[in-house]
Amino acid sequence: MAGCVLLAGLVVLALSVGTQGFGWGDGGSLLLLRSPRVLAALAAGLALGIGGAAQQGVFRNPLADPGLTGVFGGALFGIAVLLGLFPEAAWQRAWFIPAAAFGGALGTSALLTLIGSGGSSSRLLLTGLGLNAFTSAGTLVIASRSGESRELLTNGAYGDWLGMATLELTWLPVVLCLLAALLLLPLARSLDLLSFGEDAARGFGCEVGSARRKAVLLTALAAAAATCLVGQVAFIGLLAPHLARAMVGPRHAYVLPLSALLGAGLLLGADTIGRGLWPQAPLSAAAVTAILGAPLFIWIARGRHE
Amino acid sequence: MSDAMIHALGLGVEIGGRRIIDGVSLSAARGESVAIVGPNGAGKTTLLRALAGLLPSEGELDVGGYDPRIIDAVTCAQTRAYCAQKPLSAWDYRVRDLGDILGDPLGYADWLAKLRLGEFSGHRLSELSGGEQKGAHLAMAFAALAEPFGGALLLDEPAASLDLSRQEAVAQAVFAFAQAGGACVVATHDLSFARRCDRVVVLSEGRLVAAGEPASTLTPAIISGAWGASASSVR
Repeated sequence: MAGCVLLAGLVVLALSVGTQGFGWGDGGSLLLLRSPRVLAALAAGLALGIGGAAQQGVFRNPLADPGLTGVFGGALFGIAVLLGLFPEAAWQRAWFIPAAAFGGALGTSALLTLIGSGGSSSRLLLTGLGLNAFTSAGTLVIASRSGESRELLTNGAYGDWLGMATLELTWLPVVLCLLAALLLLPLARSLDLLSFGEDAARGFGCEVGSARRKAVLLTALAAAAATCLVGQVAFIGLLAPHLARAMVGPRHAYVLPLSALLGAGLLLGADTIGRGLWPQAPLSAAAVTAILGAPLFIWIARGRHE
Repeated sequence: MSDAMIHALGLGVEIGGRRIIDGVSLSAARGESVAIVGPNGAGKTTLLRALAGLLPSEGELDVGGYDPRIIDAVTCAQTRAYCAQKPLSAWDYRVRDLGDILGDPLGYADWLAKLRLGEFSGHRLSELSGGEQKGAHLAMAFAALAEPFGGALLLDEPAASLDLSRQEAVAQAVFAFAQAGGACVVATHDLSFARRCDRVVVLSEGRLVAAGEPASTLTPAIISGAWGASASSVR
């Protein structure tokens, strides 16, 4: 339907924004240098978009977003702990850092589910806020104590890691982003059924517990993999699903894939704007996302009440 | 068990140390409509959820040949459907989306029309009144069992907050479902609806007070016993 046409259009748009980025370099040699960055932005945006949609679905809360609920914070904290404790060993295997991020994201997800869910919407968000504050503080404490990782971790907290993307560093998180997204897609019907409440969901044949665990686990994986690529980026997990629902309605069979594509487009767009407008001193993707995303988000919030 | 679609023996439910349902036995045969009545807080909703296998409970329970408490959700959903008193939806779906989510858009549209809600198919749930939203969720429950025959339908106050003509449409749908060979158990405050059902179960403080045909269960003595003396004048 119309949704499919929109999806196709956005893929083309995301791709063309990327190729424009190549053009601003000093020739074809930069293509090879920049393609990992473009790939990383696309994959991370994809994971952020679909992860946000899945988390909103599983918590039945339009404001749940891995950025606000502390899951990104947890992922970065996991990386910080690894870098703080084993600054050299951390880089020896490609999967060490993604694994640490996943551990951190899973930890905060578990706490969020245990403490924050089942109650009101504000309980979930306040729990997330607390987790976010705690993990961010933890990351900064570790960063301030560890000489060599200090700059790296601070950059991560500002969502400024895309600049150091190389194929060597990014291939595994990129694969994990795609994997998480692919595995989240089949959960669409469960997420739809969950929106009717636990009784109704189970009544209509959804194994509520296992569907929830899968969604929380995969959201943590998506958030962890995306964090390895960009660091912390707010708003994409919130904006992409909201835009998707505004375009195709709330059914997760459409919202999940469209959020993934919108997320990829938004992050790649933000990164391209950040380094395109100020080539000498590029702005981080996270900064551009927040500058553009925050007003849009406030506009959405206003619309919800009218 | 023989022809019983739903068979519960000594069903008990305890929530937070409080006994909500205490030793309730009931059965519903294929083709039968059964009303669960009783005053507020009698445990009607809890009993219905326990029958649907949505709550941990003690005692024997068999719905369509399975124990819904232990069978997997998918198989269970093929033998029994449940609609809560106040269905909710976190997202603002269109009415017809519910049929797609269910996986049976045609069956859903059919029941939607029977409940006189066909015209709302393209509307968003938020554009509907509370009663109409309830109707959309009811249509989903009706359609969840592809064939009424061999299925159990458990409805919690299906006609509450509906206007009179839709109340009648829901009643007709319940009786049509039963006539097609299903078993329909309805928790309700509406005694005039209960009188039209094949059998009535009267619940008070979690215990079974009376069960049987409407004429023998909804007597003034039993009603005043369960609801209090002042209720006996209600017909």
